[in-house]
Amino acid sequence: MDLQLNDNQPLTMHIDLNSCFAMIEQQANPLIRYKPVVVAAYDTPKGAVLASSYEAKHLGIKLMLNVREARLLCPEVIVMTPDPDKYFDAYQRFKKVLLNYTNEVTPKSIDEFIVDFKGSRAVQTGLSLSKVSYQIKQDIKESLGEYVTVNVGISTNRFLAKLASGLNKPDGLDIITAKNLREIYEQLELEDLPGINTRYRARLNMAGICTPLQFLDAPVWKLKKEVFHGIVGFYWFMRLRGYEIDSVKFGRKSFGQQYALGNKTTDLEELSRLLMKLCEKTGRRLRSNNYTAWGIHLSLSFENQMYWTKGEKTSSAIYSTQDIYLQSQKLLYQAVISAKVTNIAVTVFNLRPTDPKQLGLFDNTNLDTRSLAEAADTINDHYGEFTLVPARMANMKDVILKRVAFGNVSEL
Amino acid sequence: MREKINEEVSVVMYYSSQKRLALPHLISWQNKDYAVGRIGYHHTVKVGATLHHIFELVDKEDILWFRLNFNTDNLHWTLEAVSDGLAT
Repeated sequence: MDLQLNDNQPLTMHIDLNSCFAMIEQQANPLIRYKPVVVAAYDTPKGAVLASSYEAKHLGIKLMLNVREARLLCPEVIVMTPDPDKYFDAYQRFKKVLLNYTNEVTPKSIDEFIVDFKGSRAVQTGLSLSKVSYQIKQDIKESLGEYVTVNVGISTNRFLAKLASGLNKPDGLDIITAKNLREIYEQLELEDLPGINTRYRARLNMAGICTPLQFLDAPVWKLKKEVFHGIVGFYWFMRLRGYEIDSVKFGRKSFGQQYALGNKTTDLEELSRLLMKLCEKTGRRLRSNNYTAWGIHLSLSFENQMYWTKGEKTSSAIYSTQDIYLQSQKLLYQAVISAKVTNIAVTVFNLRPTDPKQLGLFDNTNLDTRSLAEAADTINDHYGEFTLVPARMANMKDVILKRVAFGNVSEL
Repeated sequence: MREKINEEVSVVMYYSSQKRLALPHLISWQNKDYAVGRIGYHHTVKVGATLHHIFELVDKEDILWFRLNFNTDNLHWTLEAVSDGLAT
């Protein structure tokens, strides 16, 4: 199969906020600008670094180091804990700026968007996409603040647009077309390509592919049969040439919450209390999105690097917090707890829309947990999260803090 | 260093009808007045049905950063945190 590079006009933009959380904190506090700053899950020594400013990155402070390691690299590093509400606000403002240019705006995570300019007013008026990009950069500064910068990449598909956005960080603006594609590949390593990790690089190397240019020139049969062993090879063949194959929308499959325990424990009673709070959070999201679930999954990670996980389908709908808790509690009591638990996660799956609501046999009786859950949600909506909680969750207000879901922004 | 305060404070706020902007102007905290300089970030948070305005700003001398919370239900101001911009 011989396929030319896609030489259509590049109209797909990938745009992301530079060092998102750290930069928003630097915007909010001018006294920490141009200084090494990290946002960490906790400000205790073992708290994982979630974002680091460019100044911190230059000192080698990367994601998933812990605070102690970050301080070893730079004793002056400023450690902040996350402020999810502020980041959600920044996300909404970022999105609003982009929606002024076109309706085809797809969030990829809390700090990155794909913008499709096909048929957009801005381009139809004859403006070049690079001029539109400069305008967007300016609008973002006006909306989020003068310190905030974004990387912009433009090309014919999402993959190349993302690649372009990472070429000149921070505050970059690059366009990849059929004309400069080979030249750009020539300057890169395989792992510079979005989606190519160490394992994929090893597979490619085994097939004699050691550079992005060799990857581009590899025949489709080789990618399918020798490297990726299936259709994925064809997808890469298309992707590398600038053809769009990644604009697939995935529906919601599950809702889940997880918690990394600050105080690791084997105590089932304590784990049950944490589990209840995770179930409440999961239930709130399940109900506010108008779903019921017909399956539940519980997983535990242990201090000795082992883990335990179990999931099962349920014969009745899961809707209220009590439903989730009872099912997950059953799983918890089956768990083999071999060491102190470090992480606990609950997920509900097999989702079905609640509308139209099926009338239950126990509606309006004291067995009607559905109406009870909805009434409790209404109270919490009015008076604040966790105002009304199950007794098991008493005095747990600050345990399991609000967190930012990096990848999933569908509920923001 | 950033320090949690969570104290109610006195705040002078002004509204400009021309700019259609309402911003804190002066903060009185621990018997000292701080004139407001740059506003770093302003966003809102809903706690139940109550809307809170969060202002993060520095004083005119660029020495201290303040995080102020304005409760639109009772119109009270709370100083949530201060920072001198240093690590420790």
